[in-house]
Amino acid sequence: MIRTEELLLNVGPQHPSTHGVFRIIVRLDGEIITEAIPVMGYLHRGTEKLAENLNYTQIIPYTDRMDYVSAMTNNYVLCHAVETMMGVEIPERAEFLRLIVMELQRIASHLVWWGTYLLDIGALSPFLFAFSDRERILQLFNELCGARLTYNYMRVGGVKWDAPEGWIDRVKTFVKDMKLRLDEYHNLVSGNEIFLSRLKGIGQYDAETAIAYGLSGANLRSTGVAWDLRKAEPYSLYSRFEFDVVTGKNGDCYDRYLCRMGEIEQSLRILEQALEQFPEKGETMGKVPRVIRPPAGEVYVRIESPRGEIGCHIVSKGKAEPYRLKFRRPSFVNLQILPKLLVGESMTNLVTILGAIDIVLGEVDC
Amino acid sequence: MKGMIKGLGVTLKTLGTKKVTHAYPDVPIQMPDRFRGIQYVDRDKCIVCNQCARICPTDCITLTGKPNPDPEKKGKVLDTFDINFEICILCDLCTEVCPTEAIVMTNNFELAAYSRDDLFKDLDWLGANTKNIRQDNNNIGAPQRGGGKAE
Amino acid sequence: MQRFFDQPLTWGNAGIFALGAVAVLAVVIVFVTYAIYFERKVIGWMQFRKGPNRTGPLGLLQTVADVAKLLLKEDTIPAKADRGLFILAPALAFIPSFAVLAFIPYSRHLQFADLNVGFLYYVALSGVTTIAIVIGGWASNNKYALLGGMRSAAQMISYEVPLVISVVGCVMLAGSLNLRDIVEAQSGYFWHWNFLPQIVGFAVFVVAAISELNRTPFDLPEAESELVAGYHVEYSGFRFAFFMLSEYIYVYAIACLTTILFLGGWHAPIPQLDFIPGLVWFALKFAFIVFSLFWIRATFPRLRVDQLMGLAWKVLLPLSILNIFITAACIELFGMGG
Repeated sequence: MIRTEELLLNVGPQHPSTHGVFRIIVRLDGEIITEAIPVMGYLHRGTEKLAENLNYTQIIPYTDRMDYVSAMTNNYVLCHAVETMMGVEIPERAEFLRLIVMELQRIASHLVWWGTYLLDIGALSPFLFAFSDRERILQLFNELCGARLTYNYMRVGGVKWDAPEGWIDRVKTFVKDMKLRLDEYHNLVSGNEIFLSRLKGIGQYDAETAIAYGLSGANLRSTGVAWDLRKAEPYSLYSRFEFDVVTGKNGDCYDRYLCRMGEIEQSLRILEQALEQFPEKGETMGKVPRVIRPPAGEVYVRIESPRGEIGCHIVSKGKAEPYRLKFRRPSFVNLQILPKLLVGESMTNLVTILGAIDIVLGEVDC
Repeated sequence: MKGMIKGLGVTLKTLGTKKVTHAYPDVPIQMPDRFRGIQYVDRDKCIVCNQCARICPTDCITLTGKPNPDPEKKGKVLDTFDINFEICILCDLCTEVCPTEAIVMTNNFELAAYSRDDLFKDLDWLGANTKNIRQDNNNIGAPQRGGGKAE
Repeated sequence: MQRFFDQPLTWGNAGIFALGAVAVLAVVIVFVTYAIYFERKVIGWMQFRKGPNRTGPLGLLQTVADVAKLLLKEDTIPAKADRGLFILAPALAFIPSFAVLAFIPYSRHLQFADLNVGFLYYVALSGVTTIAIVIGGWASNNKYALLGGMRSAAQMISYEVPLVISVVGCVMLAGSLNLRDIVEAQSGYFWHWNFLPQIVGFAVFVVAAISELNRTPFDLPEAESELVAGYHVEYSGFRFAFFMLSEYIYVYAIACLTTILFLGGWHAPIPQLDFIPGLVWFALKFAFIVFSLFWIRATFPRLRVDQLMGLAWKVLLPLSILNIFITAACIELFGMGG
């Protein structure tokens, strides 16, 4: 009789497909996973603890580095929380700039996800296509606020910089070009039979499981639940624009793929409308005191980041620094479902499922 | 099959399009004006108000002042000014609060060095860093009275 | 070449054999060098970027630089690895790949060994490389390498079966296993080449060949994103270069075989263009096949291992057997080929 044993394999922390320093200890029976234990914390930098000694303007650069692929939404959640506590009114032009920048960031983040996901699946070219388009967005951001990845752009009360000369026209050109490129992406990948057979039916869960685990973003919408914070609890100027909430049906990896591609399309739609309605003149900062001291109390705000629902909970004791600052990070919560989804799958599907959840380790570990 | 053929068509079409490769470092990259690169410090404009050191999120600026050598003028003059580039995150908050625009960002980003000592920039280096100084600074000035981070 | 074999073995003749072998060796090494260069360039162009263009003019010395780097690397053997097998595996992978080059006819007069069992010789030798891959995966003492080696063994054995059976149709049309006779049976216009009469066999052969070469979309054994280089993860320096070299020499061998078996070898598409030497036509068809391999690599994602096995046994094998029956029926009923 041949004696068989279970194999204990360590995926990561250095691994090309774990999207950062993330470790999964898997028990394998041949090629089938019987148990998966995720281990995180390799990128923990103590942002929340450091924030107890910094005033709010100084925390903004730290938020950039949490979810480094979508830094604008992180900036926004912090500023929005403080503004809600203090009751500050934001001028319209600043609000428009914030919205345009956030939607451009959503497109950039989804492009990173698309490129790297397909690289994990084995296709080499989409990665380069995605990054050449993302380069245009980063160039736009570079012209706007001076940095390509860690923007430090929003301030409590508005934004730091106004759009430079001709920037709005450049964004309009980009939106037009991106629509054509999106069709090319669909041609290259979405119809490919190999790709479909890799993704359909993998990592499936239903709406109740998703809600029970607290999933958000495309992970929740792919099961059919039409929950998008931009529509359910509108913040910024989202209530002024028309866009659809893209949902899936089955809750498998393919539906999550289609949801995110659909979100890029909807973002382009919002951008078109926002650029149309962009005010000619306006202030970029509202009336804020020189020293930002929110009144004592606590607040929790949440917005829709490309990965899901990001929330910011601030407990303030009336000083210039927060007493406690806590971020509810979407990637951290979305990862909870990973051990459940991986049982019974093969090693190849581990990469497919992990990629479809779309995590960024800076956010998981904070 | 049809999806696969379409995919092949896309890659074949891309074979002939214009390439996006930038021939850096043979061709230098031109950064937009607002780009946040390493700082430039103008010794004469500084009034040693310490706002930049207080606002820095990573505490990388240390500066000392001395009384103005000219007996006519009041106030302090800059003696030493150090920025520790191992921890500076180029966030631009120091230039934002400076009331006299003594510290401004430049567009220089090629800062790699062979030893950690080279990364500790002192006033001589920062004063000599005059190429590519940023024009558009959007300086919103220092906080007026008191407040800010308790030291 | 044949007349040399008929003469008695003198020092002069032996010298000519040796020189001929060295000449083929040189051609193949130059091919491998520039195939790697062109692969990187072509895939780069298909991705909006230029490929290597800094080392040497237009980047032509890139592969030379890479090989020099590999030669200069430290030769690490993992502590608990099986030393003998670890050292044997790359050599065992590489030797059959060179031996396979002996029987390929490039034109009417250029061939080394005119074997009457031509194609079977290739199949027999490429099996030895499979053993070498399994040995490499096992001897590395690394779970990832082991997984990669197992996957590779399963893949290569499964795809050899449809590969061989799909060629049987061509053999039946030509009436002999000798490669030269198979090419001669395709003389005429380009619609006489085997890829049209034997279109099912051609399709099966192409898919099975890409899988035998471990290239995308069948490159599971080297799946970088899952197994971090699979069976050759513990190999560095020149041992790794051996594995890569053997892979590219198989690309050369398969491209030559596809040209010979299905694309008419050294025949021109229309007999009026016969004044262009056969070697040029051979080279053109060969280049087209190699380009298609690069093109496919740039476009498609990877298949999963169970889908791969399913494809081999449930789709390719029945198709190739069906091809044999249809060919036999056509030969009997319509008297095609001979």
